[in-house]
Amino acid sequence: MVNYLIVLFAVTLVYFASAERLIVYTRLVGLQGLLLCGIAIFELKEVNTANLIFIAFESLVFKAILIPYLLTRIIYRSGVTKVHHLAMPGFYSLILSIFALLISVILANSLVNSFVNTIYMTIALFTLFTGLLIIVSHKLIISHLIGFLIIENAVFLFSLAIGNKMPMMINVGILLDIFVGVLILGFFGLRLKPHTNQLTMLKD
Amino acid sequence: MTLLLFFIISSILIVAIVLFKNKTITKIMTISFVLLHIWLTLHCWTNLNKTELGYFTFNSLGVLLLSVLSFLTIPTVYHGFIYALNDDTKKYDIYHSALIALITFMTGAYLANGMTVLWIFVEATTLAVAALIYHDRTEMALEATWKYVFICSIGIALAYLGILFLGFIYGRGDAANLSFASLINIINLANPLYLKIAFVFVLIGFSTKMGLFPMHTVTIDAHSVAPPPISALISTTLMNVGFLAIFRVYTLFASSSILPFMNNVLILSGLLSLLVAAGYMLKAKHLKRMLAYSSLENMGLVAIAVGVGGYGYYAALLLLVLHSLTKSGLFYQMGQLSRVLHTFKLDECGKYMELYPPGALVLLLGMVCILAIPPSGLFISEFMIFKGLVLKDKWFVLITTIILLCFVIYAMSTRIMHILFSNSRNESDLKVHGKVNPIESISQFVLLGIVFIMCFYQPPFFVDLINQSFALLPK
Repeated sequence: MVNYLIVLFAVTLVYFASAERLIVYTRLVGLQGLLLCGIAIFELKEVNTANLIFIAFESLVFKAILIPYLLTRIIYRSGVTKVHHLAMPGFYSLILSIFALLISVILANSLVNSFVNTIYMTIALFTLFTGLLIIVSHKLIISHLIGFLIIENAVFLFSLAIGNKMPMMINVGILLDIFVGVLILGFFGLRLKPHTNQLTMLKD
Repeated sequence: MTLLLFFIISSILIVAIVLFKNKTITKIMTISFVLLHIWLTLHCWTNLNKTELGYFTFNSLGVLLLSVLSFLTIPTVYHGFIYALNDDTKKYDIYHSALIALITFMTGAYLANGMTVLWIFVEATTLAVAALIYHDRTEMALEATWKYVFICSIGIALAYLGILFLGFIYGRGDAANLSFASLINIINLANPLYLKIAFVFVLIGFSTKMGLFPMHTVTIDAHSVAPPPISALISTTLMNVGFLAIFRVYTLFASSSILPFMNNVLILSGLLSLLVAAGYMLKAKHLKRMLAYSSLENMGLVAIAVGVGGYGYYAALLLLVLHSLTKSGLFYQMGQLSRVLHTFKLDECGKYMELYPPGALVLLLGMVCILAIPPSGLFISEFMIFKGLVLKDKWFVLITTIILLCFVIYAMSTRIMHILFSNSRNESDLKVHGKVNPIESISQFVLLGIVFIMCFYQPPFFVDLINQSFALLPK
């Protein structure tokens, strides 16, 4: 079951590369939150129940509900609905995405370790590359935010991979989630330049 | 127990400042915090290598950098009082409570004996710095704060990935805190590829704090808008936090086969930092941004020094300490310069020597110190780096470094000389110049004086502490 969820998670990443509407990005972020919640429940069999409930609750409330809700508010407030010319065309993004997947497979296979599942490693690396690609190839602040949230999900996937042995690492990762959800999205996302959605004032 | 007491009292002071909403009480609380911090530093000195609360150890490197922080806390608080004098009570209180929080978090990061705890404190510093950069509540401050928080968050996430990779090599239930002491015993058993990936992630991640290429932009923008006493901390003690995190992992991995790889990565990162710093300093039009690029240049030199090894380790730590003293002095001076000239823009600056001679002298001496011109103590550290490069036959790195440093020296000296002696290029912007009490420049003279003395004499306890800090590294 976990493997199906992870593969479904990878599909959402490919979808990210081809999508152009910001609202689709938001829905995909929410869907990834749900999938991560499922993966956590099925994967973390060795952690105690209270900790598991906390992790599932956090991924459901923060990743699947609160963060997509805040993102939607930022999108409506900014009035920008599509990435348009402020991002690399979908076709090239898709090619880069597939290329990133290929590198992830090669890298994960050269990092075979008795403590870590190779599928986890592959998809977590792919998630990380996708997040970085979105940040680099898009110009909108909101796209950068989404790229960062994808990196966050990569971190969560990595920490789930060793979560049974080191539950503290997941809890520390959750700290990062709360930090991002509340401070970055809640405070800055709603205040920054609502009309243009770009930053230009500070430069040499 | 002392450390626990420090954290508890610091929290109480922060809460008290927020609750009382009174400038006098805030001042008393802040001064109390300075005394508390000095007391903690003295405690660490008398209990070297002792572990407290399980997660903190007073080791040499931590205590060395903590001492620098403690020393700089005094002028930072003093100049902060002057800077925030005309602020309303709310802004005044937020400034000082965030400052106390930042110093407390940095203290925690210096003394942490495990990667996870270190990471948590580094993440916490981002929160405190964000509140301080946003102090002026302008649109520009919002943009700088946003960039700082966003890029630092990416850096923190990447550093966390690096720590997770350390977890992958360990894979044991009792490794929850990933302490340096427990990891050092098993590092040679690990897959070198894991170690390389972990090191690269940690280097890139914590570069957001150290201000190294490629994550340097974050601190440059923060400097443009942060209050000068805060720029002094971001550019020195906070960069030291980033260095410490990277150096801890470097020390941990130094006994493995990836030491040459780490050295090459550090030298490359250092050279690229120098290149970017030299390029941007040549076109800098904002004084604080120029000083920020100077910090990038110095951190680049520190990275090269560590990458060289041997003499380089001592040179790196000496450079780190002396850069902290010099750069903070220059940033405190920037606060006074803006009160006299009402600007940080180079084109609008001029005749500073005529308008405020003590401040101009600080700028002149600060320039000599930061450019490592003898008798600056930084000259000793840069000389040792060059010596290390020659001994290791790294001629390409040596020549490139020297050429880039020439650009840095040219860019900074021409700009400082313009501020001191030339007329403003933008005559239409001439304003009524402000006045500053010369007593406010004493702290800068003291800091620069120490840097000059260090060229001729380095106290034995200081030398011992530096030598102990890299005792685990191969000679």
